[in-house]
Amino acid sequence: MERILRDKKAIVIFLAPAFIIFTLILVVPIIQVIYYSLCDYNALTPPKFVGLSNYVSLFTADDTMRIALKNSIFFMLFSAISQQIFGLVLAVLLTNIKKGRNFFKNIYYLPCVLSSAALGLLWAFMFNPKMGLNQILAVFGIKGPLWLMESSGFIPLPMWVIAFVALWQYLGQTMMLYMAQITGISTELYEASYIDGASRAKTFRYITLPLIKPMFVTTLSLNCIGSLKFFDLVYNMTQGGPNNRTHVLATHLYEQGFKYFKYGYASAISIVLLVMCLIVTLIINKSVKIEDYEM
Amino acid sequence: MVIKMNKNNNIKIKSVNKVTPGKILVYIILSALVLVYILPLLWMISVSLKTNKEIFQSPFAMPEVVQLGNYIFAWTNGKLGTATLNSVIVCAVALIMSMLIGAMAAFAIGRMKFRFSGAVMGFFMIGMMVPVHCVLIPLFVRFSKLHLTNSLVGLMIPYITFSLPMTIFLLVGFFKSMPKEMFEAACIDGCSIYKCFTLIGLPLVKTGMFVAGLMTFVANWNELLLAMVFISEPTKKTLPVTLTYFVGPYATNYVQMFAAIIIAIAPTVVVYCMFSNQIVEGLTVGAVKG
Repeated sequence: MERILRDKKAIVIFLAPAFIIFTLILVVPIIQVIYYSLCDYNALTPPKFVGLSNYVSLFTADDTMRIALKNSIFFMLFSAISQQIFGLVLAVLLTNIKKGRNFFKNIYYLPCVLSSAALGLLWAFMFNPKMGLNQILAVFGIKGPLWLMESSGFIPLPMWVIAFVALWQYLGQTMMLYMAQITGISTELYEASYIDGASRAKTFRYITLPLIKPMFVTTLSLNCIGSLKFFDLVYNMTQGGPNNRTHVLATHLYEQGFKYFKYGYASAISIVLLVMCLIVTLIINKSVKIEDYEM
Repeated sequence: MVIKMNKNNNIKIKSVNKVTPGKILVYIILSALVLVYILPLLWMISVSLKTNKEIFQSPFAMPEVVQLGNYIFAWTNGKLGTATLNSVIVCAVALIMSMLIGAMAAFAIGRMKFRFSGAVMGFFMIGMMVPVHCVLIPLFVRFSKLHLTNSLVGLMIPYITFSLPMTIFLLVGFFKSMPKEMFEAACIDGCSIYKCFTLIGLPLVKTGMFVAGLMTFVANWNELLLAMVFISEPTKKTLPVTLTYFVGPYATNYVQMFAAIIIAIAPTVVVYCMFSNQIVEGLTVGAVKG
């Protein structure tokens, strides 16, 4: 038995396909992209090593990059905060009711599985200056703003709109994860606390909150990384416009790489993106201490 | 049931099902939110059955005459037929391959014994953290040299790769939780390790594969960035890319656009309605263990 399970040849055979495809498609390209980011490289000429100059121009000479960075960070903070609050509130509300819990849950989760490319188009229509929401506002005699065409402000209105649409689409995921964690808490704990005379608010504060901490780390990482690599909705709702004011890192990368074919430059953007993802994951995992409880 | 004890030490049993004002308020909030989720989708369906003139004149009314022609137009002129076929082919192959490759690797990691199993698992988990954007350029460069751009195969390979971490992660959990006596008994009866995998491992891990498969399918079906970069030939485009025809300031053919959107999201809605519980379960299993 032991001998069979330690069969080296079989282990290699089982692992080989996954290992090879993973190395070729993921690990090697990551190393390549680091090298490319240090090169002057476009579609026509082979890569030429230029050191850090891509990064220098990225952070000093590129206005769109500054906007993209600002928007991405805004986007991350907005979705992290809003998703955590609303997701947790919804999860608590849903775990407290019995009738229709599955119905509500499934409805809220539905947009998560739909294509954000398609939903982006739907919401672009809703926030069109002449149609959708503004038609509703017109019924009440209000002249709605231009929504996605507005370009003024530190965080322009379109970014807020996109952030809310993203909240609408992905709220279900955070809610669902919190629900799973809350339903996993043993009911005996709650019963004991009620017998001890704790109020509902107190049980939430001293039982639910500490016990869902591990999920806080998971959902927060998912929210942050997910919003940093956000592409579909932005591309389909504004394409970075008006005036490049709504670019995020991913759309900027796409434009530089596949519209202007500046491969080296786009590689530098993707390294910035990767580093940001890693830093955020690290910060979240280090700063939240998870104590182990007997559940 | 909630048991409560008041000051006089009388235990009072409170039924949770009692209707309280708080509960009504909760239901009102939840129902209002349902409207926020459902109304845009319903409006989309209604618009897709109207004419372009109607959406300006009577945006909220039901369509006067149901314009099924929009769907026919979107299907033929928007090339949604080929796009759907392409999406189905790519997703199906990616699904089958990633399940097979993933199950093999997960079996080795979760069931077999070797010193580096933890390290190998960690290696595959890199894929969960790295955004696909980061490998986009090197992959595109290499694939165009290999003539894999503008081909569905070139799309399947990265899809398989990026489905693997999640699949392996889920399946390792399933393999680890299986009783080891089963494998022991099979081995004593003279079963080889390969037969253990195909005859015992695979059938037992079916639930896990189903869950992982659903998630893989949904993710790949909706994937836009890779497909947009890799495919420029109209006959090879997948559904989400085809939809971007309708993007931009000059796209004003709203009714057909909405028909196209509905055609594109209908399969996922159907899959979701059929398997919503499993999808939800898979999502939670995946994240709780991580």
